[in-house]
Amino acid sequence: MIATHKRSLACKKLLADVHAITAKEGITPSALHALKLKLVALAAKKELFPLADFAMPVAEGRTHPLLVEDNDGLGLYLTISLPGKEAAPHDHGIWCINAAVSGRERHKFFRRTDNLAKPGYATVEQVGEVMVEPGSGMAMADHDIHSTVVVGDEPAIGLALYGYALVRFPSVAWYVPQFNSVRATPSRRHAAMAGGAL
Amino acid sequence: MARAPKSHRVTIVNTKQVIDCTTGQTILEAAIAAGIDYPYACATGNCGTCTSRLVMGKVTLLPRGDASLSAQQIKAGQTLACRARPRSDLTITWLSRAPG
Repeated sequence: MIATHKRSLACKKLLADVHAITAKEGITPSALHALKLKLVALAAKKELFPLADFAMPVAEGRTHPLLVEDNDGLGLYLTISLPGKEAAPHDHGIWCINAAVSGRERHKFFRRTDNLAKPGYATVEQVGEVMVEPGSGMAMADHDIHSTVVVGDEPAIGLALYGYALVRFPSVAWYVPQFNSVRATPSRRHAAMAGGAL
Repeated sequence: MARAPKSHRVTIVNTKQVIDCTTGQTILEAAIAAGIDYPYACATGNCGTCTSRLVMGKVTLLPRGDASLSAQQIKAGQTLACRARPRSDLTITWLSRAPG
């Protein structure tokens, strides 16, 4: 109960800091970097995020237990991803910041290299990589493309801050390099969080 | 000499085609390699676009998002073609759109 209260206060403080930074600078590379440092500092307070307070994934996958959403769209979540969980390169349309509480998740960043002329067809090339682990994080801008995979034997537990609350999340464009394809889908995360997944 | 990976026969009801799928391949990978327009988007168990009914046979499921395939769906015989590797010959039908 004490952790819950302290967590709530810390998350609200973080969102207040986020608003202060973005109100002053907008969503610029330097603002995203500043947000990342804030989120990494919050994630370092492991005592605020005891695993017992959050449901583990049941499908060897990922869950997004809600931490806090505010009225104008920002969303801060705890993510729990089990070893081997992966996501193909995707663009979720909105900036996001990740920071690790524990475990390791590899993020790769891509750029699209085709001319967008053929519907459903896309090629991408990797342009960067970062391991999100305790003490580090990653920041990406609107329409950046990234892939994720949990490496090692322990779950990757971290904080994720999005420019939209997941309930209002835009569609996601998935790039599958193996098939040279791009496909857009509505996000299913809000459905999962509401217990309404198909 | 390297031994060829074991493969299983996969019958795709929507297109009435039978393809080979090795034990190291997902059903989606084998279908796309065979030129079948199997519905998918993420191919990594996150979006649920390739949700299918396993009519007959057994699969091993790779890690996936909880939102993509619930325990109830698995109980009802559903699977994700992008996460399912065959453990036997099998018959499957995709659920998300009409035959392609």
